[in-house]
Amino acid sequence: MLQNMSPGHKQSDCFKSVYHFSGITPREPKKKFKGNDKTYYHVKDIAFLHHEPLLEMHRAIRVHERKIKKAEAKKNVERANRLREKTPKPKIDRIIRQRYPRFVDALGELDDCLTMVHLFATVPATKEKKIDVDLIHKCRKLAHEWQAFIARTHRLRKTFVSVKGIYYQAEVEGQTITWLTPHALQQVVPDDVDIPTMLNFLQIYQPLLGFVNFHLYHSINLKYPPLLDPELEAEAAEVYGLIRYAQSNNKPTILETSELVESEQLESKQDGPEIQNKKSELRLAQLQHQLPSNEPGALMHLVEKAAGEDGEEYDDETKQCKNLFQNVKIFLSREVPRESLHFVIPAFGGMVSWEGEKAPFAETDQSITHQIVDREAQGHRFLSREYVQPQWVFDCVNARIILPTENYMVGRIPPPHLSPFVDYGEEGSYVPDYAKTIKHLQAAARKEVLPLPGVEKDLEDPQNLLAEGIIDRAAANQAAKEKQKLMILEKQYHEDLKKELQGATYTSAGSTEVIQTGESLNNGQANIDDVDMAELVMPNKKRKLLKAMEISNQRKQSKNDTIIRRKKKLDEAQNQRS
Amino acid sequence: MVELDNQKEEPIPSDYNEDSDDSDSTQHSDESDFEDSSADKDGDSSSGSSDSDSDSKSELEDGSPAQDNSGDSEDAESQDEDDVKSEGGSEGSDIHQEGVGGDESDSSEDEVAPRNTIGEVPLKWYEDEPHIGYDIKGKKIKKKEKEDKLGSFLANVDDSKNWRKIYDEYNDEVVELTKDEIKIVRKLMKNQAPHTDFDPYPTYVDWFKWDGAKHPLSNAPEPKRRFIPSKWEAKKVVQYVRAIRNGSITFDKPKEEDDAYLLWEDDSGLTEKANHLAYVPAPKQKLPGHDESYNPPLEYIPTQEEINSYQLMYEEDRPKFIPKRFTSMRSIPAYENAMKESFERCLDLYLCPRVRRKRLNIDPESLKPKLPNKKELKPYPITCYIEYKGHEGAVTSISVEASGQWMASGSSDGTVRVWEVETGRCLRRWEIGEAVNCVTWNPLPDIHILAVSVGQDVLLLNTGLGDEEEQQRIKELLLVDSPKASEETGKKAPSVSWLKDDKHDGIRLRHLKTVTSVEWHRKGDYFSTVMPAGESRSVLIHQLSKKLSQKLPFKLHGLAVRSTFHPSRSIFFICTKKTVRVYDLLKRKLIKTLYTGLKEASSIAVHPGGDNLIVGSKEGKLCWFDMDLSAKPYKTLKCHPKDINNVVFHRSYPLFASCSDDSTAYVFHGMVYSDLNQNPLIVPLEILRGHANSNGRGILDCKFHPRQPWLFTAGADKLIKLYCHY
Repeated sequence: MLQNMSPGHKQSDCFKSVYHFSGITPREPKKKFKGNDKTYYHVKDIAFLHHEPLLEMHRAIRVHERKIKKAEAKKNVERANRLREKTPKPKIDRIIRQRYPRFVDALGELDDCLTMVHLFATVPATKEKKIDVDLIHKCRKLAHEWQAFIARTHRLRKTFVSVKGIYYQAEVEGQTITWLTPHALQQVVPDDVDIPTMLNFLQIYQPLLGFVNFHLYHSINLKYPPLLDPELEAEAAEVYGLIRYAQSNNKPTILETSELVESEQLESKQDGPEIQNKKSELRLAQLQHQLPSNEPGALMHLVEKAAGEDGEEYDDETKQCKNLFQNVKIFLSREVPRESLHFVIPAFGGMVSWEGEKAPFAETDQSITHQIVDREAQGHRFLSREYVQPQWVFDCVNARIILPTENYMVGRIPPPHLSPFVDYGEEGSYVPDYAKTIKHLQAAARKEVLPLPGVEKDLEDPQNLLAEGIIDRAAANQAAKEKQKLMILEKQYHEDLKKELQGATYTSAGSTEVIQTGESLNNGQANIDDVDMAELVMPNKKRKLLKAMEISNQRKQSKNDTIIRRKKKLDEAQNQRS
Repeated sequence: MVELDNQKEEPIPSDYNEDSDDSDSTQHSDESDFEDSSADKDGDSSSGSSDSDSDSKSELEDGSPAQDNSGDSEDAESQDEDDVKSEGGSEGSDIHQEGVGGDESDSSEDEVAPRNTIGEVPLKWYEDEPHIGYDIKGKKIKKKEKEDKLGSFLANVDDSKNWRKIYDEYNDEVVELTKDEIKIVRKLMKNQAPHTDFDPYPTYVDWFKWDGAKHPLSNAPEPKRRFIPSKWEAKKVVQYVRAIRNGSITFDKPKEEDDAYLLWEDDSGLTEKANHLAYVPAPKQKLPGHDESYNPPLEYIPTQEEINSYQLMYEEDRPKFIPKRFTSMRSIPAYENAMKESFERCLDLYLCPRVRRKRLNIDPESLKPKLPNKKELKPYPITCYIEYKGHEGAVTSISVEASGQWMASGSSDGTVRVWEVETGRCLRRWEIGEAVNCVTWNPLPDIHILAVSVGQDVLLLNTGLGDEEEQQRIKELLLVDSPKASEETGKKAPSVSWLKDDKHDGIRLRHLKTVTSVEWHRKGDYFSTVMPAGESRSVLIHQLSKKLSQKLPFKLHGLAVRSTFHPSRSIFFICTKKTVRVYDLLKRKLIKTLYTGLKEASSIAVHPGGDNLIVGSKEGKLCWFDMDLSAKPYKTLKCHPKDINNVVFHRSYPLFASCSDDSTAYVFHGMVYSDLNQNPLIVPLEILRGHANSNGRGILDCKFHPRQPWLFTAGADKLIKLYCHY
């Protein structure tokens, strides 16, 4: 079934790239008949590769390379250059179509593609590493186009500023796509990284993202590639420019019957649900005339599709995301990471401006509500706006509410930035304090429940009040739990007493010479024994699985425990100080 | 000379040079330069002029004296220009005498000639004299009166032209330089031609063309080739045209940008991936937790000690990412591993085999099999009921009498004791003097004989129980005709000798090697002994009534550990280290071999039904064999962490037990159904603890009570315990 290829076997670049492109990966056979150190491919996979037109293309490329080499050896620079320009290029679109037959498939595996493209958008172009300037520009362009689409359609869900970069998570067509963009700083290309391999990947990722972008732009009736205002580009505000382009050009074009539904959906975005419904009814009436009467199924299908897409378009989450920063006007200071905020703020419905000639509004604008500042102290302040650190935006986005800005003021150390990807649902997982606070704030925002009137001082600081409330609640919960535990313990104790009594009666009934021992010991171990008993009868396979599970659980637990221990220590230290 | 020099710098063809030079000079200096030309001629003809030139240069370098001289000469020139013409001839020599540079100054020097004629002598000589020299007529020229310094200074201050006044020491006069002269001086200082009117870059005048010219310079006719199109060029063009037509020459197309288009136009029809083989999408990367945040909660940051402790860990165990805290976004540095991690991801994507693995998201408890309720399986021994104290060494072996009233025990202190089960009273005690390996009651209720293995001997002891009739029979059984036995075994090497033991009133069977176990046949007449070191004679079967011993007629593979009789048929089991061999004693042949899969078996017990048996091993495993089912264990239970010393079945209850060196005894429910389709049911019931560990040994032996669900355990801690079901 399987063919083996040892890793030591010299694989030509051509071979490698054919593998990259066609997406064939090694297999894990049930029996590794040639040893553990070998790589195994499926025979059918290899056979499939034999008919791959890509192979022919790579042979052509190799022949061409030889020609170039020859020309260079003869010092025929002109010919060499001409040949170099005419190097045949493999056709990527066919491969992409083959690997991802449906658009959804491509979206599902877009994570790595996006991460790589975003990374290469920040890598320095170097000649010795053969990283081309054009390539980097293309990466930048594609990344911005993607971000513009996400922002325009408000599909961004979560953001996370980590040490490694900024993580974004978007939901497109039901696919959750997470990607990482490095911080806007110069990347270092280390020597132990094999750049050709990465470029090989990029060779397929770039067109893939191009096609995906095209499809997405097409789906919202926009021309692709979008035209960009060169001045905005010069100001490094490409994303903003693209978003503006997307908004301004969002007019329905001439429609064909097949595109009707799509266009309706687009219009609905602007017009609101009622008008949209009317319109769709009208269109349906028109369609009924056009469609042959003996095909009611097709019509039904269309209606269903329209309905389904409606639901998708107006799902609660998108709405919520769209309206998060609705009443917020934000101005960015110079030192703020502009690129990511240009992306995030419009994605959540906010207005954003910056210091520059093409900026939509100036710093002196009185309607600005927030100014994002990342410096030690702010000199001149407008009273009408709040000066916050950039983390505030990311935390708001993750919490889906506008958080109180008090903790994010300029010059303060902001509260911890928490990962939105952590699931607290798991039992026994540690929940940081700030997560609790945010949760409570969310609950308060949702139910519109105002914090109970307390002392005036507390009223001034709603967050503190809330936090206290949470702490109280948590304490109450803990107390209740402890009580339960106590109850259980008491019960157990009673049972023990009973047992002991019975034991005593037995002993009294037995012969007088007998010495009673081991009773209490046995009782204590009864529970443990019960557990062990079942394990004895388990088959080996299951027992090993159980062991593995126990070990992993233990590891998790120990991690959790260290965090809780550290927390306790910190709290103690704080208490002592205060 | 200077002019020539300058012209050489110009890029004009040499043959052209002279003409132009001439014309130039003629053009520029119309009348006044007649003397100039003469001077030129002079300069050209006389070799001395070059000297003067060099002189002037050197003096220029010196500075002020040169200026003085030239100024002086200029001054003279300007003053009396009229005299110049008359003195033309002699002037050349004069100049040479004076050695003053500059062609023009040469000519002007003539007028000064009457002033001072001392020639080229150092002026120092005249310093102290009242005169400066002599005029042309030989008269002394008197020095002028010097103004006092203050007066001259005041005069100088008022005079705006003071800066161009120079004192001529030679003629003792003050000379004022003209503007032109200053220009010349400046030019000289710049190493340019010292002539105000001289233009080094004149506009070119083509003297060979003029408007009214009748004839061209060359009268040759135009060649024919200038009018006929080239044949070779035409041929080349034809060649190219043909090549283009044939397609052998292709033009570079404008570079194509591979533009995106609507690739997935109609993918609604496709429901599944149409890939060649089952496609496994790459697993997504793990999402970051709080610890990767740039500003994680404080409790996520490891302390310095913890970070140091990471260094002690193995590299695989070490955490790959250590959380760090930055108090503001501006302080986040670039992540140094960004490229590397991306690259590793690439490698993973195309080099790692992909396997679709089902992730078990289940409660570990659900993996455990559901056991039947223990309460329904009662009775079984639970609690320690009686402890039998008295032995002074580890109790190695115990045995319960068939009626269940008595229990015998052997210990490493060299004693054998008989206890009353119900009361725990020690009934009898034999001092044997050597550590006892094994104690076994005769299974018949009316023959109260104990078989005790001690070192190389097996003792058959009369316990003295039972009524007189029974005692009579026992004593008859235990009578040995010693000489006869020796005779019989005289021929061959005697494997066993039956001797009378006077001290304990019984029989002593002397073996060649250490006897580890003794096992009675159910009928009480035969018993087998095992000597693991006995090689071919390691398992012997003795007959009590005839006082006979015989070795097994079978070849053993491996070291014999234990032996036992079938509870109902004439089948004999020998447990070796790895296998259990089953023999039919009547047919004298091997029935089957059971492969335990254990490293070293230590004990064996047969179910009273006879079809099932259990084997305990030194690695703590317990194998249950269903002999009808297969030659491999039906179930292997890994229950003890240490050696299993003994395993037993209960004679009537569906119970079995194992005891081990970890000081525990396990009690199991082992139900064997008469229905052949139903597999035996094995349920672990109870772990009996209570024995203490001594010298690494725990419970050495365990036996069930023949009628009650009670278990006796003999520990290395000198105790025997009875566990009862209540």
